[in-house]
Parts: sequence; structure tokens; C-alpha cells
Amino acid sequence: MKPSDAYLTLDRMTVCIVDDNAAMRGILRTILNAMGAARIYEAGDVRTALDVLQHEHIDLLICDWKMKPVDGLALVRWVRNPSKSPCPTLPILMLTCYADAERVKIARDAGVTEFMVKPFSPESIYQHISSMFRKPRRFVDSKSFFGPDRRRKLDTHVDDDRRVRYGVKS
Amino acid sequence: MAKPDKSVEIINPPNMLKAKVGGKLPPADQAAIERAEMALGQIKHQFQDWLAEEVTKMEALMDSVSQDGLLGESGEMLFTCAHDLRGLGATYEFPIISRISGSLAKLIETKQRRSIAPVALVRAHASSIRAALIQNIRSEDDPVGRQLAEELETQVVALVGAD
Repeated sequence: MKPSDAYLTLDRMTVCIVDDNAAMRGILRTILNAMGAARIYEAGDVRTALDVLQHEHIDLLICDWKMKPVDGLALVRWVRNPSKSPCPTLPILMLTCYADAERVKIARDAGVTEFMVKPFSPESIYQHISSMFRKPRRFVDSKSFFGPDRRRKLDTHVDDDRRVRYGVKS
Repeated sequence: MAKPDKSVEIINPPNMLKAKVGGKLPPADQAAIERAEMALGQIKHQFQDWLAEEVTKMEALMDSVSQDGLLGESGEMLFTCAHDLRGLGATYEFPIISRISGSLAKLIETKQRRSIAPVALVRAHASSIRAALIQNIRSEDDPVGRQLAEELETQVVALVGAD
């Protein structure tokens, strides 16, 4: 692979950054721009983010957890609701100051794809984005959950139409 | 062996980015990372000012808390501010401010904790954060900064526990 391939990849990526802190959004934009991402939408609150998600094709959502009046977790739950969201399988990178296992579990159960604890570095952001696209997670669609598979390993088969029933090829 | 749950469906969503580029991102692209670090370096001179704005915001909330107590809206907003500073401090190259803000956030995270938190201890955190900024104490390498953070953390743990 040529060294410029990563640049080209990010160049075609449309990112939405949701953080109520303008400076933090600016830092993320600076990092992503430098990595090649040219189309970046910023939202200072969940309401604005919903507007962006409903009207633009977004490839990656980066959102903060702690926001007012609606938090990032509510945004993740909305995105993962196939009856409401235009993009229920959108990769979501959640940024937060919370580092404890309990919070990670809450975020995972809401449908977050990757979880990154602040402070972050360009390298850690790159690694998380790279990981999301190199090793995309399968999604689980059940009565109680829609989101990236929370199990590490599944013994299952994939149909050509990319949909299977767990354990039973449909 | 458990019967497979037919109500659970597994979906492999198309990897849109991979499809767009026709390839994949390498695990590490040093050139991309270096470009980003360089870009950050160009705005670093603003970090201290941005941090100062956040600290000023915190102090205004501290003033409100001094008048109204921690149980009102100001107390909750002060927690949010401390929580934000926990993330911002190290981003703006003041990890000691992240540490002290983390201790403050822990002290006033819930209404129950705010009901028992002494305002004096809350103020001690706020003053320490300002002092670190003014005296350019950035990390735990500074013995005074480290000692101050440890003392505040000890008092918080004594009050709300280690969790």
C-alpha cells in the first residue's frame, strides 16, 4: 500500500463531530483535516447533530458523551434505532472523560462502535478510526438491541445479502 | 448446546469507506499522524488561553455556588464544568489540571455527593486549578502540584469513597 492511501481514504470521508465545547471541536477538526478529511460537519448539541444526520450522508460520527440538554448517549440510541434513523449502522466513536468499565459497558450497550477516553492524541484518533474500518463490527438486530455485536466471537455464516440468522443460515 | 436464538439477526453492514477507497486504512500511518501533530503544534500557542477561558467559567460558577450552595443548578453546572476540564486539561498540556478537575468532578458528581461536599473543599479545588494555570504548573513532575493534587484527592476519597 502506498503511504498516501490513508490520506486518500480520509479525503473521501464525511465526518460529523458532536461536542458542546467549541475548542474541542476545533482540535478534532484540525487533526482530521491534517489527516486528509475535508468534509467535516460540526454540531454543538444533539439537536444540530440530528439535523446533520438527517440531511447529509455521514461516514463517521464522533461524539462527546456529556452534553446538555441531551447527552451523546441519547444521540447514539437514536442513531441505532432503525425505525427513526437514516443511518443505524453508522460507525460511532465516542469521546469521553469516563474511563471506568461500567461506563464503557453503558456506551457499548447503547451501540457505540469505539470508545476513546480523553485526552486523545492524533495517533490514538487515527488508530481508532483505522480499527473501525479495518475490522468492521457485525451488527446485532434483536428485540432489545440494535448495534455492533457486543460478543467477541460468533459462530455464524454470512449470506451473500450479508444478513444471517444467528446460528442458522437463512 | 443451547438452541440458536432465531429472534436475533446478525448483519454485516457494508464497509462504505472501504468501498469508497477500494482499500483499507493501515493500522498506523506515521505520515498522517505526523501531519496532524504538526497541525496541532501550530495552534498550541492558543491552548493556555482556551484553558484560561474554561477556568474563568468555572470560577464564575464557583461564585454562584458560594451564594446559592451546591444543590441548585449552579452545583450541577459546576460538575459539568469540572468534568469538561478533566478532559481539556491534559489536551491543553496541563495534565495536573485534569487530575485536580477529576477530583472535583468526583466530589460533586451526584446530587447526593453535592449535599455533603463542603463548599470550602470545592473552592480549594477551584483555587488550585487557577494556581496551576497562573504558575504554569503543568504536570505531576512539579512536587508542589503533585502534593496539592494528592491532598485534595485524599480529602475527596475520605468523603465519598474511592470509587
